[in-house]
Amino acid sequence: MASVAHHGPTRAEMLAMLGGAALAGLGAPASAAPKRGGVVQIAQVPDVIPSGLFGQNFPNGAIGGLIYNTLTAYDHRTLAPRPQLAKSWDVSRDGTTVTMQLRSDVKFHSGRPFTSDDVVFCIKNMQDPARGSQLRSTASVVTDLSTAGPGEVKLRLAHPVSNLFDLFELMFIVDRESLPDMLAGKSLIGTGAFTWKQWNPGDSVTLARNPAYWKPNRPYLDGVELRIIPQTQALLAALQAQQIQLALGLAPKDVVSLHGNKAFETVVGDTHDAAFYVGSNVNVKPLDRREVRQAVSFAIDRERILKDVFGGLGAAQSVPWPQSSPAYDAGDARRYHFDPDRAKQLLKASGNEKFETSLAINSGLAPASAIAQIVEFNLQQVGITTTTVSFDAAQFIKRLAGGDLPGLWVNVHGFGQMHPATLVVSAFPFNAAKNASNFRDPRYSAAVNEAWTATNDRAERAACRKVTGVLLEEQFVADCVLTSGTYAGVPAFRDFSYNMYDYLNFDDATLG
Amino acid sequence: MVLYALRRIPSALVVLFLASVAIFAVLHLAPGNPAVVLAGPDADSVTIAAITHQLGLDRPLPVQYAIWLRGILTGQLGQSYVLGAPIASLIGRGLGNTAQLTGAAVLLAVGLGFAAGTIGATTRSRVVRAAVVTFTTISFAVPTFISGVLLVLVFAVWLRVLPPGGHASLVTDPLGGLRFLILPAVCLALPASAVIARFLQTSLSAVLEDEYIRTARAKGLPAARTLLRHALPNALPPVVTVLGIQIGQLLGGAVIVEAIFAWPGLGQLILQSFVSRDYLVVQDLVLLAVTVFIVFQTLTDIAHAALDPRIRLGS
Repeated sequence: MASVAHHGPTRAEMLAMLGGAALAGLGAPASAAPKRGGVVQIAQVPDVIPSGLFGQNFPNGAIGGLIYNTLTAYDHRTLAPRPQLAKSWDVSRDGTTVTMQLRSDVKFHSGRPFTSDDVVFCIKNMQDPARGSQLRSTASVVTDLSTAGPGEVKLRLAHPVSNLFDLFELMFIVDRESLPDMLAGKSLIGTGAFTWKQWNPGDSVTLARNPAYWKPNRPYLDGVELRIIPQTQALLAALQAQQIQLALGLAPKDVVSLHGNKAFETVVGDTHDAAFYVGSNVNVKPLDRREVRQAVSFAIDRERILKDVFGGLGAAQSVPWPQSSPAYDAGDARRYHFDPDRAKQLLKASGNEKFETSLAINSGLAPASAIAQIVEFNLQQVGITTTTVSFDAAQFIKRLAGGDLPGLWVNVHGFGQMHPATLVVSAFPFNAAKNASNFRDPRYSAAVNEAWTATNDRAERAACRKVTGVLLEEQFVADCVLTSGTYAGVPAFRDFSYNMYDYLNFDDATLG
Repeated sequence: MVLYALRRIPSALVVLFLASVAIFAVLHLAPGNPAVVLAGPDADSVTIAAITHQLGLDRPLPVQYAIWLRGILTGQLGQSYVLGAPIASLIGRGLGNTAQLTGAAVLLAVGLGFAAGTIGATTRSRVVRAAVVTFTTISFAVPTFISGVLLVLVFAVWLRVLPPGGHASLVTDPLGGLRFLILPAVCLALPASAVIARFLQTSLSAVLEDEYIRTARAKGLPAARTLLRHALPNALPPVVTVLGIQIGQLLGGAVIVEAIFAWPGLGQLILQSFVSRDYLVVQDLVLLAVTVFIVFQTLTDIAHAALDPRIRLGS
């Protein structure tokens, strides 16, 4: 087989990786020998949902990466995959066959050795719609899986896909023998640095050091306790009282309030994985008119949203891609800026100088209400009167999935930080075949397919330009602000990292 | 008497059955379901349909109701759709924690309320009386979500003498458990203690003006004995009535206090379960509340009948 491949990190990539790790850590790397021992107390607002570990739900990022490993892990700056449980891989020239060599020194927490059969199981598991993975489309492209001994697995794809390594970045390698226990939250068995000890729903999760971890002399910590603190103010208070050493997902303004306080260190993630946007249902008049959607986008004061709602932590931009994405272009990012006059001109040209519509928000999404207030005011200035409609999370998601939201809405999407194809194939607001906006366009479908099946960087970038072009022109999703997860902790807790979907990694973390 | 008690049971069961139908219907008529929540905001309709099928939510509603009812009758409450954990253990743990919190809050409210009310009614010092009025006014007027945050700020963040939130078992770690319990219990108890103090102060002040109290004083009975043996017992009936109402309000107020202090009780469980449309957990919790109410109503009816023969003979 002809090979274009990746045999583990090059020296340049290794340097980039080291830089990325330092960036991801809290505090400067320790100069002395790392201190062993200690149980770190971390906390977040939502409880974990073990049955949702195959989906990309936020609450599980805190424990998933500690209990499980993935096949590969991206460098945050270059999106080049790094070895994890897969030590090397070959991709055929036509992009339809991938052969992976696996580590031979890895054991599950149960003591069973990790083999190629586990990879086969995990990929098939991701193909099951009931598992709720947003990467199911990509997993489903794998039409045949075969093994050549315990250390090699071969994947045959129906067609080349440019985002296959996004699947390997997000797919936890779980123990196939204990899947029902995992889904019931009884026992989570992986190959990661920490083992599952106890879960008290609504209260805490306790993890202990895996003494047989495959990385030599890791982890340094004896254990991790994740506490569930269902109120953001209480989460901040717990950190300020130093009851916990790391708070996950603090509100941006709370993070800003800690700046300058030497007792705490804050990190705003470099993943840029949460994009807040205003969506339009193109079945609702006059939002079926492209000019009207463009007017809405020009009317939104993105800078104000960034400043007032997110305390300046993030980027105001009109594309879903962060700067690290191959699809990013600075001109595109600034295409829609606050320009009420332009918005009025577009509305006039469309024959809809004044109209009324709904602005739906998810009451379970913390910043949505504040964003909606700014958007409502902005739209009013150009002649669009909105009525804010608040739905609870379950209602909102159901309407979103059914393309049934009444007019405009404020929401958040992820996946812009991954390979561009993952956003347009896996994030429902952007799906070409069926999306929340009911937007259909053969040009868009063709561009999405081209980006997904691109076999080289050049073709991929060209396809991404087409995708971005349609997105900017049609504005069925008007991206506004791109933000990241926040980590606030005490200086004594250092050298943790996270992957591109905010799965925590405490392999090298220490508690001084 | 036994016959009277037995005659109450069928009507209680009918009420319980009708309540179960109403709870089930209302929840399933609300838009959204747990499959939607589990699938997440980026999910497509195929994924939602698959999860809906996996959870059995695509079965006809009467079948789902029958399965739930059978589970209740056989003691198999099943597993939470969203969390995956057994519902019996979720409710058991939450119930125990909420009982701990409200129990401690009731004790504190009674202690503080009686102390403040008695002092307010008996003191001749204007300053002390003003202090009592200030305490009761602030305790009653400041909502728990404000007082809770203030308590955390002062005792956990500034003074660092108590933890800002969390929970430890009083059985395995009594001292640690007590430290976690103090702030939420105080926060929950303050408004109730103010109400108790106001009622007691008013009632006791009136009783202390009665002639039999003047007689007791004229006889030279010590002030403490006059208060405790003669005045206080006669001032209690309205306070006991309001105490019963306050206990109910404490259970309701626990939802907010549990959130502020990360106390894993029933309030948090029902709130989160409803938001995520975790049908089985919400149904079981609401049915449990209805059952408790019906049991107490039935016991009250029986107690009334026991005290008043006309009721049992009349029925």
